[in-house]
Formats: sequence, structure tokens, C-alpha cells
Amino acid sequence: METIDATAMELLANGIMKASAFLGAGICMGIGALGPGVGEGFVGGKACEGIARSPENQSLIMRTMLVGQAVSESTGIYSLVIALLLIFATG
Amino acid sequence: MTMTAEIIQICSFLGAGIGVGIASVTSGVGTGIIADQANIALMKQPKAYDKLFSTMLIGQAATGTGGIFSLVVALLLLFGGFEQGVVHIHRAAAMLAAGLAVGLGAVGPALGAGYSGGEACRSIGRMPRQGNIIMGNMLIGQALSQSSSIFALVVSLLLIFSTPMAIEDPTAARLIQKFIAYLGSGLAIGLGTLGPGAGIGFVAGKANDAIGRFPRERAKVIRTMFLGAAVSESTAIYALVVSFLLIFAVG
Repeated sequence: METIDATAMELLANGIMKASAFLGAGICMGIGALGPGVGEGFVGGKACEGIARSPENQSLIMRTMLVGQAVSESTGIYSLVIALLLIFATG
Repeated sequence: MTMTAEIIQICSFLGAGIGVGIASVTSGVGTGIIADQANIALMKQPKAYDKLFSTMLIGQAATGTGGIFSLVVALLLLFGGFEQGVVHIHRAAAMLAAGLAVGLGAVGPALGAGYSGGEACRSIGRMPRQGNIIMGNMLIGQALSQSSSIFALVVSLLLIFSTPMAIEDPTAARLIQKFIAYLGSGLAIGLGTLGPGAGIGFVAGKANDAIGRFPRERAKVIRTMFLGAAVSESTAIYALVVSFLLIFAVG
């Protein structure tokens, strides 16, 4: 086996570290978007049903839907933040 | 690195196979859900045959879009021959990630569009007179839900066509970084469209159901559907941003 000098080794280690941060960012955003997407869709679907059943409460239901979706969105935003940190602030 | 061209070829074939395979799973499931609900509705309302049949076919066509996208990308990957001149190993990851992105990206939207189409058929079976309105709403809902699979298609075409063949200063560290960044971008948009696609499909399906039950409230229902779908889409857009960053801004 040929010997690798210390600086080349360090560069390689740095590269691998960055590379795994990029992979982590991709997986983080990908899987992190799964839950909020499904959850917000569920909220929206039930809101459609509710408004059709009792149209006089439309504004109330719409407000509740938006608040619920905003709370559900927060985990999506967490994963966006972590993905951006992994891309720009590591290595 | 004498085997670079062969490795890129292998990764292209692998990406084509995996992509079209994963995408076919839920395209099949989604179209099956629609046919299932159409048949159940026909059993209850044999007179609505024409409307149910056309709704089923149109809904299935919209559900199969993700599968067609992945077929196109797979054919591009199989017969591409893009590599000319000096190529580096990171192109292999771009090819593999293109297949993964479009394949995984078809999963959620196909499920969502299938649910939406199934609910539309059920709703038409209950209220055949509202057939045209329900079918129109089903198409809008399916288009919203398929928009995330279009994001995946865009990312995978970018990975195939706009990633550089060779990079300056090809040290091992830089090549590894680029390689993994492309893989990450494919995974980000592929997995990221799964939730929004399915979620928007759920919104559209419930809206179809509600329009069939209470046709007079349809303006309010459609408005709520649009709002709910737009908020649900936002995570797919985050995923798109992250995968653009991983393709163009790093490494």
C-alpha cells in the first residue's frame, strides 16, 4: 500500500465530511417534507368537508385550517433550516 | 480512474431501472383505486355508466403521469450517450440521482391523484347529475397533486443535462463532495414530494366528496381546496430549493 501524506489525508477527510453533510441535507429535507405534506393535506381535506357540511361557519373553519396547517408546517421549516445549515455551515 | 465511463454507464442503467420500478408501484396502485371505486359506483348506479367510464379513464390518465415521466427519464438514461470528452466520476451520481428523483417523486402524487379520482367516482355514483362539476374538480385536484412530480422531473432533467461533465481541479475530496451532493439532491426532491403529493390528493378527494354531497356550496369548497393544497405544496417547494442548492451551489 502506498503511503498518503498528512495534508492529502486531511483534505480527503474534509471532503468526506462535507459530502456526508450534503447527503444528510438531502435526506433531511426529503423525509422532513413527508410528514407536513401529508398532515396539511389531511387538514385541508377535512376543512373542505366541514365547510360543505356547515357553510355558515366558513370563516371559522378556514381560520382553524390555516392555524393547523401553520403548526403542521413548522417541522417542514425545521428540516429546511437543518438542511441549509448542513449545506452552508458545516465542514 | 480508467473505468469512469463504464461506471457512469452502470449508474445510468441502475438509475433507469430503479426509477421506473419505484414509479410504477404507486401509478399502478392509484389507477387501481380509481377503477375499484368506479366499479363499486357502477354497481349502485348502472345508469351513470358514461360519466363514470369517462371519469375513470381521465382520472387514470392523470394518475399515470408520474409513471410516464419516469419512463421518459429512463429512456433518456438508457439511450443518452451524453458523456463526451473528459468525464469525471461525479456524472455517475447525477445519472443515478436522476432516476431516483423521478422514481421516488412519482410515488406521492400518484397515490394522491388516485385517491382524488376514486373519491370523484364514488361521488358521481352517489350524485350522477353533478358529474361534470365533480370531474372538473377532480382534474384540478389531480393537476395540483401532480405538480410535485413535475418538480421531480425538472430536477432529474437538470441532473442529466446541466451538470458539468468534468470539474476543475478534480481532487478525490471534490469528486466525493459532488458525487454525494447530487445523490442528496435526488433524494431530497424524490422523498420531499411524497408527502405533498399524497396530501394534496387527500384535499382534492375530500373536496370531490363534499361537492357531490352539497353541490350548492361548491364555490366555498373549491376555494378551501385551493388554499389547503397551496399550503401543503410548500414543503415540496422547500425540497426543490434544497435540491437546487445541492446541484448548483455546493461542492
